[in-house]
Amino acid sequence: MFLESVRLALRSIARNKMRSLLTLLGVIIGVAAVIALLTIGGGAREQIRAEMAGQGSRLIFAFAGMVRDPASPAEIKVQPLTNEHLMNLDKSIGQHATIAAQAETRLRVSYGARGLSAQIRGVSESYFTLREWTLKRGRLLSPLEVASHAGTCVIGSKVAKALFGTENPIGARIRIGHPHCRVVGELAPKGASFSGDQDTLALIPLGLFQIRISGRNELAQILINAPSEALVAPLKVRVAEEMRRLRRIAPGRNDDFQVDDMAEYMRQAGSIIGNVTAILGAIAAISLLVGGIGIMNIMLVSVTERTREIGIRMAIGARQRDILVQFLTEASVLSLLGGLIGIGLGLAIAWVVTAFMNVSFVPNLTAVSAIAAVSAMIGIVFGFFPALRGARLDPIDALRHE
Amino acid sequence: MNAPGKTAPLLAFENVWRSYGGGDTQVHALSGVSFGIERGTFTAVTGPSGSGKSTTMNILGALDVPSRGIYRFMGSDAGRLDNASRAELRNRHIGFVFQGYNLLPRTTALENVELPLIYRGLPPPARHAMAEKALEQVGLEGRRHHTPAALSGGQQQRVAIARALVSEPTLLVADEPTGNLDTERSREIMALLTALNRERGLTIVMVTHEADIAAFASRQISFHDGRIAFDSDAGAAV
Ligand SMILES: Nc1ncnc2c1ncn2[C@@H]1O[C@H](COP(=O)(O)OP(=O)(O)O)[C@@H](O)[C@H]1O
Ligand SMILES: [Mg+2]
Repeated sequence: MFLESVRLALRSIARNKMRSLLTLLGVIIGVAAVIALLTIGGGAREQIRAEMAGQGSRLIFAFAGMVRDPASPAEIKVQPLTNEHLMNLDKSIGQHATIAAQAETRLRVSYGARGLSAQIRGVSESYFTLREWTLKRGRLLSPLEVASHAGTCVIGSKVAKALFGTENPIGARIRIGHPHCRVVGELAPKGASFSGDQDTLALIPLGLFQIRISGRNELAQILINAPSEALVAPLKVRVAEEMRRLRRIAPGRNDDFQVDDMAEYMRQAGSIIGNVTAILGAIAAISLLVGGIGIMNIMLVSVTERTREIGIRMAIGARQRDILVQFLTEASVLSLLGGLIGIGLGLAIAWVVTAFMNVSFVPNLTAVSAIAAVSAMIGIVFGFFPALRGARLDPIDALRHE
Repeated sequence: MNAPGKTAPLLAFENVWRSYGGGDTQVHALSGVSFGIERGTFTAVTGPSGSGKSTTMNILGALDVPSRGIYRFMGSDAGRLDNASRAELRNRHIGFVFQGYNLLPRTTALENVELPLIYRGLPPPARHAMAEKALEQVGLEGRRHHTPAALSGGQQQRVAIARALVSEPTLLVADEPTGNLDTERSREIMALLTALNRERGLTIVMVTHEADIAAFASRQISFHDGRIAFDSDAGAAV
């Protein structure tokens, strides 16, 4: 009897292909949105975990913060970090943790006639030990090169592509702004990530950066790698205390710098993803509701169109519940169909987007089956009223219906 | 109501009223109708339009219930059965033939004939076999995969008769079965019904407004204004 209803439902849907498809649009869009979001969001979370594993969740960052002068609140002063801070921090906590620094700017990088604007980063000696680097060819800057402000650099994959195409850049002399430097290494492509574009990049010794490019002994960031995750929190406190002392901040005054850690960044990124997913999820829920109402509408039309059929079925022995089951089955087969199309579409969208975002494509099978069940439920819930209306018809009136 | 010694009739109306609406606008489609129908008989119901023929057939077929009075079918008070029990009664014991055939559109003859068996919960192979047999009985075995649109009126009515026969009913209720057919087709349908009555002992109650069609039946009941005006078998009526 139930199989009979499913067969009937499929036949009835097949008879009205266009109408069924249009009716299902709401459900299809809603389900596709939910599936795409969950899959992309899941991939993004996976990416964050991978980045944490790659960059180390033990990293602490110190950088200059903005402070308002109480005398003129509209003015925002930034007191930059300097080499002095780096040296002093290294002196006070260098025996407990690895400390490095970087300075950054955007500049044109060129080789002969070719050039592009890239992120130029001056890095201190221990910078390369803080996280993993994957080279395509060549090597990283040696400690000696960094210490001696040598004119050497490591370039990102997009810089290499723009300046050298497919040729080997190692040994070539390129210009970074004015100064020349010799390419010693090319990084493997990293793709866009939550820390931004990692490929349009050139790494040079910090000293070279400060002397030949910025002309100041300022730093963008001091990085401290805690020896263990447990030590991240106490070390952050230590760093903050040390910075207050170095920058002579009177007790009671606010910090004019900021100390963050990688885990916190990842948490923040995770919670942004969570919020975006929640908002878009709510939109998806609304479109599922609209889809449900669409199904209710089309089922009311279907019951009205088939009033005579209902009368005939009742005359030959269909009970009210047989009619109810028939139309409920039709509604849920219809919405399940919409759900399945939506799942297919959502996975396709997620596949394209994750490929584009360079994030892993990990379909959540639990979510997919839950959504399939939900879409069948939508049919049962929104199909109930029309089905009941059909089941409650008086057979004689129904038979007289034209 | 029956002569002593006679077995109880298949069905009986006992002072049946059927009223629509209420108060000043109340209409009585039937006003105290009583009659009995014996097993194996063929009864024609006649009367002018609006006299209550269809109302009577609907109650006979357990599609409707009396407003007052008793409709007894095979000994039980069919007017007091709930919806589901009446559906089962129709499914097992009653076959309907309507003036407008009432076949499901875009559905083959075979599937139309199988329909009552689906609600009886029979598995497909048994359904197919029984439906094929019923189509053979009405001479349409060659049209089993035709949809109603591809069949003539006479053929459609024969499919409808096959659908009524497939559940091996006790009573066949036919409301103007030849009303939409020409004389030749009407005679074929009547020949079929007469044969079913004679050879299989099927009890038939049929509405018609044509005297020559009514003549095929062995008994005539005539309605006028919701009452029985004439009954050729007056002895059986109360
Ligand atoms: N659903 C209804 N509501 C109100 N009046 C009805 C309804 N059905 C039938 N009637 C009335 O009952 C009377 C008998 O109808 P019916 O049994 O269909 O007559 P017949 O079949 O003999 O032409 C008519 O007057 C008709 O108008
Ligand atoms: Mg009538």
